[in-house]
Amino acid sequence: MAASPLKRWARSEAVNGYMMISPTLIYAILLLAAPLVTLVAYSFFTDGYLVVIPDLTTANYAEAWSDPIFRSILLRSVIVSGLVTLVTVVLAFPIAYFISFHVPAAKKSRWLFLITIPFWTSYLIRVFQWKVILNYNGVINSILTGLGLTDHPLQMLNSIGAISITLAHAYAPFAILPIFVSLEKIDRSLLEAGLDLGENRLLTFWRVTLPLAMPGVIGAVMIVFIPTIGDYVTPELIGGGKLPMVANVIYQQLLKIDNKPLGSAMAISAMLVVAAVALVFLFLNRRFLRGSK
Amino acid sequence: MKFSSLKGYAFLYLVFLYAPIVLLPVFAFNSGTIIAFPLKGFTLDWFRDLFANQTLGLALKNSLIIAVSTSILSTTLGVFAARASTRFKFPGKTGVMGLIMLPLVLPEIIIASSLLVVLLAVGMPLSLFTVILGHTLMATPYAIAVLNAAFSSLDRSLEEAAYDLGETKWSTFRLIILPLVTPGIISSALMSFTISLDEFIVAFSLAGKETTLPIYIFSQLRFPKQIPMIMALGTCLVVASIVLLATAEYFRRRGLAKTGAKDTGGFL
Amino acid sequence: MSQLNAAARAPLDSRAKMIEFHEVHKYYGDYHALRGISATIREGEFFSLLGPSGCGKTTLLRTIAGFEDISSGAVLIDGKDMSDVAPNKRPTNMVFQSYAIFPHLTVGENVGFGLRRDPRSKAEKAKAVEEALEMVGLKGYGARAAHALSGGQRQRVALARALILKPKVLLLDEPLSALDKKIREQMQVELIKLQREVGITFVLVTHDQEEALVMSDRIAVMFEGEIAQLADPETLYRRPNSRRVADFIGVMNFLPAQILGEAAGHVQLEVGGLGRFEVTEEQASARASGAEPVVGFRPETLTILYEGQQAHDREAPATIDEVVYYGDMTYYDVKLDGVDAPVRISMRNVFGRPVLDVGTRTRVAWSAGALVLFR
Repeated sequence: MAASPLKRWARSEAVNGYMMISPTLIYAILLLAAPLVTLVAYSFFTDGYLVVIPDLTTANYAEAWSDPIFRSILLRSVIVSGLVTLVTVVLAFPIAYFISFHVPAAKKSRWLFLITIPFWTSYLIRVFQWKVILNYNGVINSILTGLGLTDHPLQMLNSIGAISITLAHAYAPFAILPIFVSLEKIDRSLLEAGLDLGENRLLTFWRVTLPLAMPGVIGAVMIVFIPTIGDYVTPELIGGGKLPMVANVIYQQLLKIDNKPLGSAMAISAMLVVAAVALVFLFLNRRFLRGSK
Repeated sequence: MKFSSLKGYAFLYLVFLYAPIVLLPVFAFNSGTIIAFPLKGFTLDWFRDLFANQTLGLALKNSLIIAVSTSILSTTLGVFAARASTRFKFPGKTGVMGLIMLPLVLPEIIIASSLLVVLLAVGMPLSLFTVILGHTLMATPYAIAVLNAAFSSLDRSLEEAAYDLGETKWSTFRLIILPLVTPGIISSALMSFTISLDEFIVAFSLAGKETTLPIYIFSQLRFPKQIPMIMALGTCLVVASIVLLATAEYFRRRGLAKTGAKDTGGFL
Repeated sequence: MSQLNAAARAPLDSRAKMIEFHEVHKYYGDYHALRGISATIREGEFFSLLGPSGCGKTTLLRTIAGFEDISSGAVLIDGKDMSDVAPNKRPTNMVFQSYAIFPHLTVGENVGFGLRRDPRSKAEKAKAVEEALEMVGLKGYGARAAHALSGGQRQRVALARALILKPKVLLLDEPLSALDKKIREQMQVELIKLQREVGITFVLVTHDQEEALVMSDRIAVMFEGEIAQLADPETLYRRPNSRRVADFIGVMNFLPAQILGEAAGHVQLEVGGLGRFEVTEEQASARASGAEPVVGFRPETLTILYEGQQAHDREAPATIDEVVYYGDMTYYDVKLDGVDAPVRISMRNVFGRPVLDVGTRTRVAWSAGALVLFR
C-alpha cells in the first residue's frame, strides 16, 4: 500500500512550498498588494476635502494629465532619470570592463569593495555633499577662482545638470555591478576566438563583448532608472525645490494638500510611465538574449 | 596602451566616487562656519555639538530601533521565502515571488504613498512601528536576494543525509542548514539594517511625529548654521560604516574558511 | 569478471527477504517514472540497479530510503510495509552520490552524526566513531576538517557515517562515479570486502556495467522505469534476455539469422558467414528488438586461428578489416566471408604471437554453444 492520500498531500512539495512561503507572502499581500490596490481605488474616487468619497470617477486622471505643470514635471522626471541613467551607465561600463578584464582575479573583490564603500554612508549626506561641491562658493568654484581661471563663480546648482550628476554618483555601483557580472560570464575563449579569426581588438569588443554584456547593461539601466525617477531628496536639495520631480508633487498632494485621490492618480500615472519604460527594456533584453543564442 | 588609459580612467572614477566622502572630514574639522574654501583652522567644536545634541541622540535611537527590528523581521521573512523558492516547486511560484520582490523595482515614493493611504484608511496611528512595517517591506527583497544565493549553494543531499541519519526535519534545519547559511543570514541582516538606517522617504511619510536620523538630517540641511555639525555627523557615519563592513568581511571570510568554500567575492 | 563476492555463503534463495517491491509505480505529474517494479532483495545480498540515466534506478533506490513517495504498490523492508515510515525511521542508510559530507563538521562529527540520539555515553560513542573510521581505513582522521578531504576519503567518511548506525540495508547512489579510474577500482574491491565483513544488504545504483558486474551478487538492469532483466552477473553477461540488455552490458556482435525449424528442444538456424547449425531452446529465449531474428556473440567467444592451429568446434573463413591494439588485448574487426558488416573479436596478446595486419586472410574459430538467439 502506498501512503494514505492525506499524508501524501501533507508531504507533497507544493504544500510544503506554500507553507514555507506563507509568512512572507501574507506580509507582501497585506503591506504591498492591498496598499497598491487601495491606491488604485483612491485614484478613481472623489475628493471630499477631509474625506474620500467612493464615487467612481476618472476626473482625477483627467485633472492630472490636463494640468500642464504636472505634465511638465512628469516629462522632466523622465528626462532627468533618462539622462542620469545614460550618464551612469556610460561612466560605469569602462569601470566594470576594467575590473573584469584587466584586474587580476585575486584583486577583483577588493576593487568591488572599494567601489561600494562610499555607498554605505548616508544617502542624504552624499547628496548634500554635491551641493557643497557645486555651490556658488563651493569646492569647484573655489578651485576655479583660486587658479584664476574665472572671476565670476559659476552658477551650477538648481539645474538639471546638477541633479543628474548627483544622482549619477548616487547610483554608480548599481550600474557597475550588473555590468560586471555579465562581463564575468563571458567565456574568455570566445574573445580569443574572435582575435584568432583575424578581427582586431576593437572589432572583437564591438561584435563579441558588447552584445554579450548587453543583459547586464539593460539590467543596470532598469536598476538606475526606476529609483531615480521616484527620487525625492535630490530635487529638494540640489534643485533647490525649484525643479520638482514626480515624487515631490505626489508627496505634496498626499501629505501637504491632502488631496488623496489626485495624489493617488498622480502616483499611479508615474508608476505606469515607469512600468512602460521597464517593459520596453525587458523586451529589449529578451530580444538580446534570444539573439545571442 | 589601452590598459594604462583604462587604469587612468578608473583612478579618475574613484576620485569622483570618493570626493564627497573625503570632503566630509575636511569640513568637519574646519573651524569656519561656512562650508567653503579657503579653510580656517582646526577645531573639534562640531563634534562636541554633535555629541551634546539631544534631538539627534533621540533620532539616532529611533533609527537604531527601526533598523534592528527591520533587520530581524526582513531576514526572518527572507529565510522563509528563500528556503521556499530554492527548495520547493509549487504552482504559481513565479507570481508569488514576483509580488514579494516587487518593492525592488517600485519607486520608493509609490511604496510610501500607498502605505500611507492604507494606514490612514484603517486608522493606524503613525509611529516608529509603521516605519518598521514599511522598511521591512522594502528590505525583504534584498534579504531574499542575498539569502537565495546562500540557500541555492546548499547541496540538497546534505539535508537528505541528515534526515536519513535519523534527524527530524526541524533538527536537520537547525543542525545542518542553519549553520551553513549563517554567513548569508549575517549579510542579509547587515544589508537590511543599512537600508533601513539610511532610508528617508518612507520614514518621512510614515513616522508621524517621530524623528529618525535621516529625517533629522534632512530637517537640519536647511539651516546653514547646522551644516558643520552635519559634516561631523557624516564623518562619524563613514567611520561607523567602514568598521561595520570590515567586521562583516571578517565574518564572511571566517565562514568560508570554516566550510572550505571558494571565495566568490564580496558582500554585494 | 571476478566473483569475489559470491563465494562461501548461504545460497540466496534460502535467505530471508530483506526488501520487497510489489508492483511499484511512481508518477511525476504525467511522467511515469517507475512502471510496476516487482522484485525481492535478499538478506546480505550485494544488489545492483543498473541502467542508463533516466531509467528510474535512482528513483527506485530513493523509494527504499523514503525520499520518494510511491504512487501505488508497496515497498517492504524486512517484512514491514514502509508506506507510512519516514526516512529517519527506516532501517536504511544512504551513501550519496555527492557524499553529502557536512562541510562545517569534523570527520569524527560527521561519522558520529547519526549517534546524536543514541543513549550511549560520550566515551562509548567516541569509541564507535573510532572503530567505524578504522573499518574504512581512516584511523586517526577524526579531528580533521571534513572539507579538506580528497574524493576517496569523503567516500570513506560517507560509508563510515552510514555503517556506524548498523542499518539493515545500505543504499549507495553512484558512490564511485566521482572518483578517478584507479581509486574507483580500488574502492570497488574494498566495498566488496567491507560488505562481506559487515554482512549488511547493499543496494547499489550505477550506470557503469563493469562496476555492477564486478561487485554484485545480482543485478537488475533497468530501462524506462522497468526491470528488463534481473540475474546474477554471469547469466546477465552470457544470456542477456533482450538485445537491449545485450547492448548495454559489454560488447556483442549481431548477425541476422534465419530460423529453419524447431525440434526436440533445438532450433535450427542459418546465419550468413557461419552456415547452418542448431542452438538449444535455452539459448533461444531472448527477445529481438525488431521483427528479424539475430544471433549474438561476445568478442571473446571467437578466436582468430593462426597457421597450423585447429578449431575445437567450428571455423569460418574471414578477412581482417581493422586492428585496434590495447596493450594486453588486440581488438580485430573481421569480415566473415559473405557478410558485409564486420564482427569484433578480442584476442589476448601472447608473447611470440604477432598482431595481424589489416587485409590478412584468416580463419575464425567459433562455437554454437556461445551464441544467443534473439527472436
